[in-house]
Amino acid sequence: MAKHDTYDAIVAGAGHNGLTTACYLAKAGLKTLVVEKNDWIGGAAVSRSLIDGWTYSNCSYVCSLLRREIVRDLELPRFGLQVIPYEGGATFTPEGDYFAYMSDHDALRRELARHSPRDADAYDRFSQAVIRQCRFIRPFLLRNAPDPTSLRPRDLSELLFLVKQAHGLGAKELGETLRFWTMSIGDFLDSYFESDLVKAHIAGAGIIGTGLGVYSPGTAYVLLHHYMGDVDGAIGAWGFARGGMGAISNALGAAFEEAGGEIIKGAGVDQFLVRNGKVTGVALENGDEYHAPIVASNMDVKRTFLQHTDRAALPSAFTKAVERFKIRGSSAKLNIALDRLPSFPAAPKGATFLRGDMHCSTTLNELERAYDDWKDGRWSQDPYFDMLIPSQIDPTMAPPGKHMMTVFVQYAPYDLEVDGVRSGENWNDATRKAMADCVLDKIAVACPDIRERVVHAEVRTPWDIEREVGLTEGNIFQGELTFDQLLFNRPVPGYAQYDTPIRGMYIVGSSAHPGGGVMAAPGANAAREILRNIGKGKSMPDFAA
Amino acid sequence: MTDNRFDAVVIGAGHNGLTAAATLAQQGKSVCVLERADRIGGMSRSADLGGATLPEMAHLLYNLNPGVAKSLGLKIASRALPTVALCPAQQHVVIQGKTAQYANGDAHPDAAAYAALYQRLKTFAALLGQLAEGAPPALAGGMLNAKTLQEMMALGKLGLGLKRLGKVEMREFLRVILSNAYDLILDELSDGPLAGALAADAVRGAYAGPRSPGTVFSLMYRLGNGGDVTLPIGGMGAVAAAFADAATKQGVQIRTDVDIASLVIANDRVQGVLLSDGTTIHADAVLSSAGAMQTMQIAGIAHFDVEATRRMRHLRNKGTTAKVNLVLRNLPAFTGLTREQTAGRLLVAPSAVAVERAFNPAKYGGISKSPLIEAVIPTLTDTTLAPDGTHILSAIVSYVPHGLEGGWTDAARADLLDRVVQTLEAYAPGIGELITHSQVLSPADIETMTGAPGGHWHHAEMGIDQILTVRPANLMARYAFGVGGLYLCGASAHPGGDVMGAAGRNAAMQVIKDGVLR
Ligand SMILES: Cc1cc2nc3c(=O)[nH]c(=O)nc-3n(C[C@H](O)[C@H](O)[C@H](O)COP(=O)(O)OP(=O)(O)OC[C@H]3O[C@@H](n4cnc5c(N)ncnc54)[C@H](O)[C@@H]3O)c2cc1C
Ligand SMILES: Cc1cc2nc3c(=O)[nH]c(=O)nc-3n(C[C@H](O)[C@H](O)[C@H](O)COP(=O)(O)OP(=O)(O)OC[C@H]3O[C@@H](n4cnc5c(N)ncnc54)[C@H](O)[C@@H]3O)c2cc1C
Repeated sequence: MAKHDTYDAIVAGAGHNGLTTACYLAKAGLKTLVVEKNDWIGGAAVSRSLIDGWTYSNCSYVCSLLRREIVRDLELPRFGLQVIPYEGGATFTPEGDYFAYMSDHDALRRELARHSPRDADAYDRFSQAVIRQCRFIRPFLLRNAPDPTSLRPRDLSELLFLVKQAHGLGAKELGETLRFWTMSIGDFLDSYFESDLVKAHIAGAGIIGTGLGVYSPGTAYVLLHHYMGDVDGAIGAWGFARGGMGAISNALGAAFEEAGGEIIKGAGVDQFLVRNGKVTGVALENGDEYHAPIVASNMDVKRTFLQHTDRAALPSAFTKAVERFKIRGSSAKLNIALDRLPSFPAAPKGATFLRGDMHCSTTLNELERAYDDWKDGRWSQDPYFDMLIPSQIDPTMAPPGKHMMTVFVQYAPYDLEVDGVRSGENWNDATRKAMADCVLDKIAVACPDIRERVVHAEVRTPWDIEREVGLTEGNIFQGELTFDQLLFNRPVPGYAQYDTPIRGMYIVGSSAHPGGGVMAAPGANAAREILRNIGKGKSMPDFAA
Repeated sequence: MTDNRFDAVVIGAGHNGLTAAATLAQQGKSVCVLERADRIGGMSRSADLGGATLPEMAHLLYNLNPGVAKSLGLKIASRALPTVALCPAQQHVVIQGKTAQYANGDAHPDAAAYAALYQRLKTFAALLGQLAEGAPPALAGGMLNAKTLQEMMALGKLGLGLKRLGKVEMREFLRVILSNAYDLILDELSDGPLAGALAADAVRGAYAGPRSPGTVFSLMYRLGNGGDVTLPIGGMGAVAAAFADAATKQGVQIRTDVDIASLVIANDRVQGVLLSDGTTIHADAVLSSAGAMQTMQIAGIAHFDVEATRRMRHLRNKGTTAKVNLVLRNLPAFTGLTREQTAGRLLVAPSAVAVERAFNPAKYGGISKSPLIEAVIPTLTDTTLAPDGTHILSAIVSYVPHGLEGGWTDAARADLLDRVVQTLEAYAPGIGELITHSQVLSPADIETMTGAPGGHWHHAEMGIDQILTVRPANLMARYAFGVGGLYLCGASAHPGGDVMGAAGRNAAMQVIKDGVLR
């Protein structure tokens, strides 16, 4: 018999943001239910074992954006979260050389100078500029985006905060900030460095997950989404979650359950229930119905409203805005079980940078060309990838002596072009394998024996990511991070404060401000908004204060 | 006053230099314009080819600033032209302002959506256009002091205008303003020549594909003064002449064939200009319409701080437009177009996707096999331009790189000509047979002829990171340029390029305002 139960609040989706919202609601005393369509929790922050002995961080794989305030406040370490920092990284060249990034300043300087003495000098200026931008933006992450068309005191005070922050910069910095926010990562790097290799090594962070090329304006800003994690707090700058990214979600899940919350897995939402413009609950695919005056959707905004909500309950202008919300997928992933550590002939024995992020793209033009392929519906023939072997630092990821490799591939289209037809259906085992071969060929630049090392490989295209995680079109950020979809524009102008046209219904995933990444900021901000709306704003710390 | 003593010297007799000179002269200042070329006009000059008068580079007016035209009393006759978006399947679309229909008179399925989009863009553009009427807001001393607040008036006006649009439109403005033209267009229209025409307009002159963020702004920039496209009667040279007339009427001296060696600078202040023949021309202010870096070089790099020179070195100014001018023994027959339609602005930009695709090779020093073209046959509107029966076809070719792989050799020019003619053959079969004379100007040629860095249409890319308060660069955006009395007055200054005149006028007004001239 179908179940019918009533709660104070329901969260649809157990991604890390949904779980964050749920935690705060439960801690504020709300009887809260999380329903998740998969048999596991975590969404794109998940660890799964697909072959005995190995654990994959199937989707996200490194942790840096996760807001420390939230980790501390929810006491996630108590629930098993441990972030292990890693240092360094490298880009390998076909000629057998490499550029290594090292966190030791002097070592980095020497390595830069090996490629270009001028670049060694430029690096300090570069990193100061980036750090300054990170410092500028960080305070905004845990605040609501003000609505510039509104005269509500709260919006005005948020706007004033923005003006004050900007004022604090002074004229020169303000100009630099304006430029930084609107520049391409390619132009930004060109203005500091001369070595192609150095530029290519840094540039990747500006395009990961985007539908833009390294020379597209706006990509310098995306760099921040990858750098602002914790640039100047040394610990956790970049790290692996011990046990894979699922450790984050699992910690959140455990914290939620400790606070009295309930999670139902394998329970996909079919419909958000709406009556007279007010949300009343969710109907599941299995026929169960749960009722609550507050329903928070962790799904992306397109999935939420175009697939699981009655259109009649929505103003048509809103629906149209959701339809045009850009959510193009551009990334694929290979998760590989290795029988032992592959060899890196170019690297010195025991080089620490092998424990960091590794790449094989050596020029900005190579990256830009990879983007051109994607625009036309092909996976990049000469792809960019971000490759790590976390099992070197976190032994829980693979059996002793064996290793796990995660390879994030940029770019791969959602709607693959085959014979003039673009469609997600064109992804099948053959095309998946062809793409993986293309990636492995390039990995062989760094480790020639890679193919012999592979015990098992999982290939995930944007199409697969959509179907498993529910990220529409496989977009890793639940919506592209372009100006038209940031801040007060995210996800829909006029609904950028986690609210929706349906009373009691909220958007709490990465589709909302400040966007994607395993950051937990949208989830926490949304919780604060929800609690404030029911007069319980004080029951949650104001991280912005 | 001796012959070689003026209140101000203007470098370059392009329309902006001439506007700056005329504006200063109107304020009672003595002004001399020094032009390196043997002719005035810069990018808006005419040239002779096979007995015809060609618009050598710029060929149409759409952005002329009405305030400038009025205050200078410019007398420019021009005729409005429709835009014809050519379709490979011969379903050409004729666009006139906000109306769009097929060339055979049939209704276009996207006509209503296009009208709404165009109207909205025009409204937004008119608001932005206000910002072109003065120096960009300064950020000096942060944002909260009285002086800056006053400076922010222009922005305030913009804000007020936005408020007046109402919440919905204001939100839409804030959503699209930094966005890319491709999405904006394809959210409303199905892809094809109509969408392609808008996409091509968004990027003409730019080093950017329509998918690049910032291209909605460049599309609006085109519409800032209404956007209606007109053909100047008497050719583009007549436009330049009108600017020159306005200047000389105010007593401005214009000298051509002048080679400037350097500026004369003492105590960090401009004293005049030294010519390579040894002559010194004394002046308290020098306004330069040469490129920003070029101006810095003329002044002497040593007069600028490291940061300023660094900024100049990294200005984005890769030119992407070439010009192909043809003299034809007969009128070419464009399939499916009436004579009146053939006289329009003919666009080869079959779809927004095709526009983006055409940009791809340019990024790596190549040229698309299907180049984007904006062509006009001015002789259909103005018969005085060429001998009886013959015609001119003036074509702007987009996405032609300044740094062509292999360099700009004669063979490369011939190859470009060939691609353009081949492309046009698809719409006007036999056009190649009609060519009696041709001229191909690569961006590198344009650079040589006008000094414009990179041969760039706007002298410096109009990306969001190089406009308004950061045009051409941060801290150098209010015309004053490093050395006391030195000002930028050309396209590389705010608001930017096109035959508009605002940069020249604003720079002159800034000189007056700064009290540089006694
Ligand atoms: C391949 C990949 C690599 C990435 N790498 C990184 C990285 O290294 N570092 C980083 O910080 N970020 C990375 N990201 C981005 C980051 O993982 C995501 O932005 C983030 O995890 C999104 O979290 P979320 O909670 O907002 O949404 P999601 O994780 O998408 O959660 C949504 C949840 O809703 C569930 N759901 C969907 N439909 C229904 C339904 N009908 N009923 C019930 N439940 C439903 C889903 O199963 C899912 O659990 C990566 C993403 C991907 C895909
Ligand atoms: C191919 C092409 C087609 C175009 N088509 C159009 C169009 O149809 N419509 C439109 O509105 N805009 C068009 N434009 C853009 C427009 O022509 C320019 O933006 C505008 O003309 C710039 O005017 P200006 O006065 O600032 O500079 P310019 O016209 O470039 O004038 C600068 C002048 O300074 C002189 N000069 C440079 N250095 C020195 C020196 N050291 N000493 C002395 N003199 C010097 C040059 O010789 C030149 O005469 C086009 C541009 C190009 C390249």
